[in-house]
Amino acid sequence: MENFFRIIAYVILLVINGFVFYFLHSHFHFLLLVIMIAGPVLSALLAIYLRSKIRVVVENRTVKDKYAYQNKEGYVYIKIINPTWAMSLDVKLCLAIRNPFFETEGERIISIPVYAKKGYELELPIVATLPGIIQVEVKTVKIKDLMGFMFLKKDINEVGEITVMPEKIGELDFESANLDQGMLESEESSKRGNDFSDVHEIREYIPGDKLMSIHWKLSAKRDILMVKDRVSMSDKQLVILPELCGIVPHNLEIILTTTYSIISQLIQDKTTVRLMYWSATRFEYEDIRIDYAEELDDAFAKMFYEKTYMDMNEAASHMANVHPEMRAYLHVTADGSKAVVMVKENG
Amino acid sequence: MAKSKETIEDRQLCEGVMLGKSFFEKKENRILTLFLKGFVVYLLSMGSIGFYLSAFNIEYNTVICHGVIFIMAILCACLYYRLLVENLGYLILLVAFGGLVMLFRTYINSGFYAIVNITTDKASQYFDVDIQRLYNEQIGNRYLTVSCVVIFIGIVLDIFLNVYISRRMQYVTVSFFIMGLNMIPLYLVAEPDMIYSVMLIAGMAMAYIFKSGRHYSPQVSVRRYSYVFEEKGRRHKTLSGKVKEKEIAYVYDVKAMIQAGIIGFCFVFVAIVVASAFKPKENFNAGYEGNKYKQVTMAAVSSFLIDGWSAFYRRNQDTGGMSHGRLGDVSTVYLDYETDLVVQVAPYSFDTIYLKSFTGIRYNPYDNSWTSMDIMNGYDVEQTPEADALSMAYMNGEQNTSKAKMRINNVGADARENYLPYYYYDEPISSAQGFVDVIFYPRLDGNEAWVYETDYTDCMPYTDADLYVPEENYEAVEYVVSQFDWIGTNEEVVRELVAYFQAEIPYTIRPGKTPKNEDFVNYFILENQKGYCAHYATAAVLVLRYMGIPARYVEGYAIDYNQITDGELVEGARYSDYYDGYSELGETALVEVNVTDADAHAWIEIYDFENGWIPVEVTPVGEVEEAEDFWTMFENIMGSGDTSGEEVEITQGEGFKISDELVRNICYVLLGLLGSITLVFGSVKGIKFARYFIRFNKADNSDKLIMKYASFCKKIRKRDKDFRDKINYKEQVEYLYAKKYDANKTEEENVEVTSDKVKEDTAYIICVLEKAGFSGKVISQEEYNIAIEWLKNAGA
Repeated sequence: MENFFRIIAYVILLVINGFVFYFLHSHFHFLLLVIMIAGPVLSALLAIYLRSKIRVVVENRTVKDKYAYQNKEGYVYIKIINPTWAMSLDVKLCLAIRNPFFETEGERIISIPVYAKKGYELELPIVATLPGIIQVEVKTVKIKDLMGFMFLKKDINEVGEITVMPEKIGELDFESANLDQGMLESEESSKRGNDFSDVHEIREYIPGDKLMSIHWKLSAKRDILMVKDRVSMSDKQLVILPELCGIVPHNLEIILTTTYSIISQLIQDKTTVRLMYWSATRFEYEDIRIDYAEELDDAFAKMFYEKTYMDMNEAASHMANVHPEMRAYLHVTADGSKAVVMVKENG
Repeated sequence: MAKSKETIEDRQLCEGVMLGKSFFEKKENRILTLFLKGFVVYLLSMGSIGFYLSAFNIEYNTVICHGVIFIMAILCACLYYRLLVENLGYLILLVAFGGLVMLFRTYINSGFYAIVNITTDKASQYFDVDIQRLYNEQIGNRYLTVSCVVIFIGIVLDIFLNVYISRRMQYVTVSFFIMGLNMIPLYLVAEPDMIYSVMLIAGMAMAYIFKSGRHYSPQVSVRRYSYVFEEKGRRHKTLSGKVKEKEIAYVYDVKAMIQAGIIGFCFVFVAIVVASAFKPKENFNAGYEGNKYKQVTMAAVSSFLIDGWSAFYRRNQDTGGMSHGRLGDVSTVYLDYETDLVVQVAPYSFDTIYLKSFTGIRYNPYDNSWTSMDIMNGYDVEQTPEADALSMAYMNGEQNTSKAKMRINNVGADARENYLPYYYYDEPISSAQGFVDVIFYPRLDGNEAWVYETDYTDCMPYTDADLYVPEENYEAVEYVVSQFDWIGTNEEVVRELVAYFQAEIPYTIRPGKTPKNEDFVNYFILENQKGYCAHYATAAVLVLRYMGIPARYVEGYAIDYNQITDGELVEGARYSDYYDGYSELGETALVEVNVTDADAHAWIEIYDFENGWIPVEVTPVGEVEEAEDFWTMFENIMGSGDTSGEEVEITQGEGFKISDELVRNICYVLLGLLGSITLVFGSVKGIKFARYFIRFNKADNSDKLIMKYASFCKKIRKRDKDFRDKINYKEQVEYLYAKKYDANKTEEENVEVTSDKVKEDTAYIICVLEKAGFSGKVISQEEYNIAIEWLKNAGA
């Protein structure tokens, strides 16, 4: 609408100038007329050229940590790459921001300039109040020409994401007696150093492998880093089973933060934890062994790609059938605004 | 505007995701933006002043004026640095400016008058009319005074335009404002120098672009720095029920504004130079005959430019400059310069030719009028002893006698009246076309056609009425008589009287009305002591009658020698058809003269024993008059030091001028440089490509692959920083493979399969490249094709 009024106003000015030119027949008004006619053409051509060449890249360049944390700033960078000499004073980035895990979505328009030969780099500090994967998608860019007559739209669909880990809770709100009870069942196998997991195979090191998995002796012999691939003995470890029930987002958040906090605390106490959760998409349990904080974050990052379900006992309900060997596990659910953590006997 | 620091908080992007407040806390120093806006203001203010002055070729000190106006524009723009600076700055600026104006008031006034005088002069040339008044320039050095006034107006414009530009970029208001006065030179077909057209249009273009961009205004209410981003608009629901959040927009960005400004300026600069090259202003109007609408306005505009604003509020009826004996009702003489009579005559003398219309015999005091000869008893207008004597002398072939014909076409004068030259004998012949042909016998020096030798000797040459002075006017008349030496011949007495008028009673076209219940002559002589021709003629008639010299009051048109010589030659007319006999000028040709209301006049006739009634000029030579207007009042308030009224010598300096040629050459040089650079780079690239092409076509498959691979790597290096660290085939190919694989990682489930395939291909490519590069063997066409295909995929 704004463009429409601007065009109308411009046409009026052009007509006035045309009339004055007819009236005075002055060289100055002739020049003005030439510029007023050529100006919009040049402006449109520049905008069309810019539209054809402009590129958008969305990055999450975390400086120190791989992941962002709940209620703390994480950064998404939107880089507009403009290799041309054309520029625009107003480029609108139509952003879609979503958290697929919590199934929330919103849209925002950000208006920025685009420099000639450089483009623009926009740093978006994202603060997530819910954990999950925060996707920032640049759906389209609308490029305004210099004279402000039109917005040229270009579909981009570039997505960048940051994974936001839950906030650790200082004081866990669950019965420590219950935890102890659950611990008793697997106490023997849960202390670090008493690792009862089996070595499945020995292979070459690939980036991302844990340092403690490196087989130093063999590596020294072969002059190449070798690692031990382990398979965990599920019946000998502490199992924690959060319910990824998304019926009430706040409850889900509590379950996640509680689970994350419990595991953090446990691995801090050098207790190996098995995180199990029910994958509603694959209809099976995902089982991840966690010894370190990095593993915990990776596990959660993976979990955030899952879909939530509607039943608060969905994960627990399958346990007896799928894992009958499991004797007990720590079940994390929520009731009202409180997390409920309890050791649950299987079967 | 962004909220102050205390209220800045995270903005929601979607449920559970906020945009951190640090995004809105970023700030930028606004000083560069203010400089840029100052530059736009400078372009507009200096452009508009230079536009006007260069159109009229008025010289001034270009360097100093540009410098001062530029600095002031920047300073004015910088007032928006902070609210405090703005408030205090304007105060200080106004005080300082007022002080400077007081100090240089004489120069500024003179400069202003110089510009107005030059404008009036140009207008009078364009409209082909006489200037009725000029402003009195107290300082004659126009170069200096115009420079002063340019600085003065420049600063005023800087302050004024800054308000519109810096805050709101109101280019429409600014354009109408600065183009208002600049329409005057354009109307008078005077074009500005190219540099000022560029400045003016570029300034407007830049303001337009910034306004269209909508991001130009840093907040003044915050300290020193402005926020980079803010939320704009309203949060609202769309028709589909979706909530649309407020737009997050950058406030301003000086780098972008500079780039947009450069694009705007360069475009205007190049467009003007190129358009001027195709249609130069020098011959832009060649063959153009104007349009009828402009013709319609010309009378009004000419009145405005010659008379000033008063042209718009005059209300008196246009009587072609004649009052027909009614006196005292005219406060100011307003002229429309429209042609009243078109006269064709063959010039014969240096003297003024009078066309008589009204002869007043009896003056009616307090009624302030003359009774016309036509309605007076005892006067026979048919009796023309002077013409009779002259015609007889001509027919007798006496010395210095002649017969002339004048064609008079009444196009705008009062149609009820006749306008006839002195000493016509026969009745004028009216034609169907509306003109009259009059035969008359001019009285020239040395002519001895005496009236006492004619058949009219038996009748009275004049009556008592020609000597009548009303008693009511005795006091005034006696006052005049007492003021000058009246002993001598009639001619000498008249000369003394005119000298007295010249010295004591100044001529003016603005004498003011004669007050009610006042007598015209008494008020003129005893109180007002200023007037125009009708005042002098009336007073002179009464004074001369009082001294015993028969006199009459006459109105009509006076055509002076200069007007006649400026007249247009009438093609195809024979001189002998219009003049015969002695001529003071020798044989001339028939000319056509446009007689306007500016030529309307009042004079007197006195009776001479030998020559009969002869016209006598008693109006003193009117000086070009100084108008009383705002600036005069301003000068009076200021207490101008120079009241001597002495004439000053007007000098015009030669200043540095940015000629059109220079601007054009600068543009050509820049375009030439750009073209050369493009040509050089293009040639280098072209040569490289040609060499590559030849080498490639001559090469075998191995060399072709290596060449392709080299150019492929060059391309990738340009856009991929990490790729630059890979130093050999293996690393490079593996890197590209890894990148490709990573990119596919999040896609569908067949990733693994695809990646295995790619992995195999990659190993194969490395082999092929090593073979082509190091083995000395030529790779097969198939190997070549596979490698090229892989490169295409990897580079996509």
